Amino acid sequence: MQEKDLIPVLERIQKKYGYLPLQALKSVARELGVPAVQVYGAATFFKQFRLNPPGKYQIEVCMGTACYMAGGQVALDSFERRLKIGVGETTPDGEFSLERVACVGCCNLAPVAVVDNVVEKNVTPTRVDGILLSLGLSEENKENKENSNAQGK
Amino acid sequence: MSKKVTITIDGRRISAHEGEKLLWVALDSGIYIPHLCAIRGQDRPPAGCRLCFVEVGGRLGPVTACTEPIREGMVVRTRTPRVDRLVETAFRLLLSDHRLDCKNCTKNGRCELQVIARERGLGPDRDPLQPLPAKTYIDESPRTFVFDPGRCVLCGRCVWVDQQVAGVGAIGFSGRGIRRRVTTFGDSNLAESPCTECGLCVEVCPVGALFFKLPAKKTKGDS
Amino acid sequence: MRRENREREAGVMAVPSAEKFYAMLRSAAVAGLRILDEVPVIRIGTATCGIAAGALLVRDTFRDELNKRGIEARVMEVGCMGHCYAEPMVIITKPGFPSLCYNNVDEELAIHLVDDFLARGDPCYEFAMAALEPNDFFPTFQDFPRGIYEEKMILGDCGLIDPQEIDHFLARDGYLALCKALQTESNQVLQEIKKANLRGRGGAGFPAGEKWDMARKAPGEIKFVICNGDEGDPGAFMDRNILESNPHLVIEGMIICAYCVGASRGFLYIRSEYRQAVCRMERALEQAREKGLLGERILGSNFSFNLEIFTAAGAFVCGEGTALVKSMEGKMGIPEHRPPELAESGYLGKPTVLNNVKTFCYVPPIILRGARWFRDVGTPESPGTAVFALAGKISAPGLVEVPMGTTLRQLIDDVGGGVPHGKRFKAVQIGGPSGGCLPEQALDIPIDFDSLLGAGAMMGSGGIIVLDEDDCMVRIARFFLNFTQEESCGKCTFCRLGTRHMFRILDDIIRGKGEMGQLETLRRLAEDIKIGSLCNLGKTAPNPVLTTLRYFFDEYRAHISEKRCPALSCPELTVYFIEPKRCSKLCNVCIGSCPVEAIFTRDDGLKAIDQEKCVKCDNCLKACPPDYSAVIKLSPLSLLDERLGKNK
Repeated sequence: MQEKDLIPVLERIQKKYGYLPLQALKSVARELGVPAVQVYGAATFFKQFRLNPPGKYQIEVCMGTACYMAGGQVALDSFERRLKIGVGETTPDGEFSLERVACVGCCNLAPVAVVDNVVEKNVTPTRVDGILLSLGLSEENKENKENSNAQGK
Repeated sequence: MSKKVTITIDGRRISAHEGEKLLWVALDSGIYIPHLCAIRGQDRPPAGCRLCFVEVGGRLGPVTACTEPIREGMVVRTRTPRVDRLVETAFRLLLSDHRLDCKNCTKNGRCELQVIARERGLGPDRDPLQPLPAKTYIDESPRTFVFDPGRCVLCGRCVWVDQQVAGVGAIGFSGRGIRRRVTTFGDSNLAESPCTECGLCVEVCPVGALFFKLPAKKTKGDS
Repeated sequence: MRRENREREAGVMAVPSAEKFYAMLRSAAVAGLRILDEVPVIRIGTATCGIAAGALLVRDTFRDELNKRGIEARVMEVGCMGHCYAEPMVIITKPGFPSLCYNNVDEELAIHLVDDFLARGDPCYEFAMAALEPNDFFPTFQDFPRGIYEEKMILGDCGLIDPQEIDHFLARDGYLALCKALQTESNQVLQEIKKANLRGRGGAGFPAGEKWDMARKAPGEIKFVICNGDEGDPGAFMDRNILESNPHLVIEGMIICAYCVGASRGFLYIRSEYRQAVCRMERALEQAREKGLLGERILGSNFSFNLEIFTAAGAFVCGEGTALVKSMEGKMGIPEHRPPELAESGYLGKPTVLNNVKTFCYVPPIILRGARWFRDVGTPESPGTAVFALAGKISAPGLVEVPMGTTLRQLIDDVGGGVPHGKRFKAVQIGGPSGGCLPEQALDIPIDFDSLLGAGAMMGSGGIIVLDEDDCMVRIARFFLNFTQEESCGKCTFCRLGTRHMFRILDDIIRGKGEMGQLETLRRLAEDIKIGSLCNLGKTAPNPVLTTLRYFFDEYRAHISEKRCPALSCPELTVYFIEPKRCSKLCNVCIGSCPVEAIFTRDDGLKAIDQEKCVKCDNCLKACPPDYSAVIKLSPLSLLDERLGKNK
């Protein structure tokens, strides 16, 4: 393994664990013979890498130009409102994580979201509710979450 | 060694080795050009601070002196309206992300931002840019020095000496864009990093982001 | 001495053998595909866009229904023809009929087609979109308005061939240009590219031949060829489409390039988000290796070239060459000062040619048909064609290939079918975050590498977004600045902090917190960032701001001095209001559509919006039946008080 293999190696680790555990980054640095902080730098630089475990369901809302103009922000707001998390966060129960992606190249279906690698088209606030419902976020759960959040505060 | 050439900077004729970078030639001849990120002897300068702009005869726009190799007959001007405007903007941008508190800063009087301000007549007054939210975290964990990211201008000198001169590898850059910062692995305290407290990084810091603890404070911390 | 002899021998042998080698491969491919002339073939577009529209379900339906009825036919997955508005698209070729293309195919239509067309013999013309080849029954794509402008130099096979089967490419003379090149002295091949004046399709338009020549002449034994498939512009999907629909064309172009510059290794740098493209490219590489078209002694010649995929980890700035190379070396993708150019010192410090996906695609046809053929299309300074991804407020979004020099107006009105729903055209955004927003009066500018620069935009890699009266130009500028400041690598002061400040000012403006004085700061910052930044990401980042300030200054002023968004688009300056005069007691649609229960029934039975709760999601406006159209938007916010006062 050489320094130039760093990105592919990190990609493999993320594929295996879903994220990049700090411990793994340390071992990679040792293997490559570079300072650990350099590996950490690369891991925090690229959008594809995450340092925390993702949710069971990963929701990525497209923020390409066409999607943005067609209501991508509204869709993102709706997900945030329903899941009560912000972009880059995971729900406390580890079920959902929410991300923003630059462009998935399906501009004529805008606004789109990628839910567990499947492209969902015309994501209106109603569709957001539909998607979340199909993934098991029921009204009841929503209430529970609200309650637990309230308690958390 | 390459042959000697003669260049003109602000009307002064200067002779130096061909291919040497203009920034160092000017500084060695006592001609000031603002700069923060350049490090002497670096193979490929980072050219990140964007302060060392000059105009070179025959070139369309201003160029950075740290990246410009000198050649025979080169005519350089360090002060033109275009250069002054770029330097002012770059300086004000850096200042908008630098927690200003010179009175309580140990580098007060030796700070390189102050040198630039003095040389180019730039003050904090009439600044059209709103300051960006300052980073408030301060790492006081090392025994001998303090790291205050709110004052860091991201010149990268500390990272360079840590990795290339001291060969320690305790600090590096992480994140990108506005979140780019100097940090340790996993954003831990410096005390938990491989840092040996050699102090080289503190010595090269142009601003008050890295500074030695005052002896009085040190005893207090030890006790 | 002996080695020299052996090399000379090999060289002599290579001349006839490459040709023979290729002829063998091609005839085997043709023989293997003969079956396709005998049975009906159903081609289904399964590029990412097709799949998102439901193409896989359509594919399975065809397979099941054909099986059920015991009809012998081939269901083939192909790439994308570029008619995005028509996905999922299906092409049916049945002996005795012209090849017919059907648009927006769903399960129902699939079953219908199997029953009526494949089982019996009724081609269901009422559902057909176009025929592929001229015939007496049905119009072809050439008869479409866009067919008149389109000229396919590199997209010709996309959507027709199976990208996962190299034989389809070979049968259409794929790799013939490589075979021809390998029998020609490499410098002569390079001269042909130079003569063609092929300019880089990544945006900058640097002549590819000159770049290759620089790398060829650079000292050193080890050289690299890299294909930049890190398509990062939001709203651009040309490269993805080509990688998914015709991967071998890219590979062939890269091998020819490597032959010209003397490179022995190459990389395809592809965004990891493009999973499908990576997948198809992997398979294509494997098949090319199996056939002896890639790897050691290509087509039996002396020339060896290895090619592999590098999946990019996601950073827009890596579209910049020096940053791309850094990321491949295992570092942060941070641009460096140029010179040295990559052609002198690139990947691992070796001479490196880096070109865009499309640039490589033009190489095989140029070698095959000659520089003259290429120069006969387009303009003298920008010969050839350009590929655009049309999106936004346009009737027929999709991928089009038109000669350079086509005007924006032709592209939008004729090729793309204009702005839909009777709305008024406002602006066209060309070139993505590095480009600009051009108004109506700039539409007659021909699109080529140089003409758009004068108007403050650039051709970029080919993303075109059409904006109509409902789109706010300040908001668009803010969108792009948000993008660039997030994607800035953070190394240089102007880009890291300058774009951040520009974004903050624009954000203030769309929230109604802007001041006229800030516009001067904005303009000054934009001008300085353009000159002062280290790399082209920073240097071009201010373009969306500068062009909107130049052409749409009124909108900035309205936001600042009147707190009004003329497009009724900025949520902070706009409210939703239900016009009591138009609302009906009998209808409750809006109430059900509201995701936050902000709409209530008034005492008189009409509906009203609780502004405290409203999240401005646009749902009620869309839901309100057209007969009523009672939901309207008001800007500035003060209009709401006027309305409420009036109606009380």
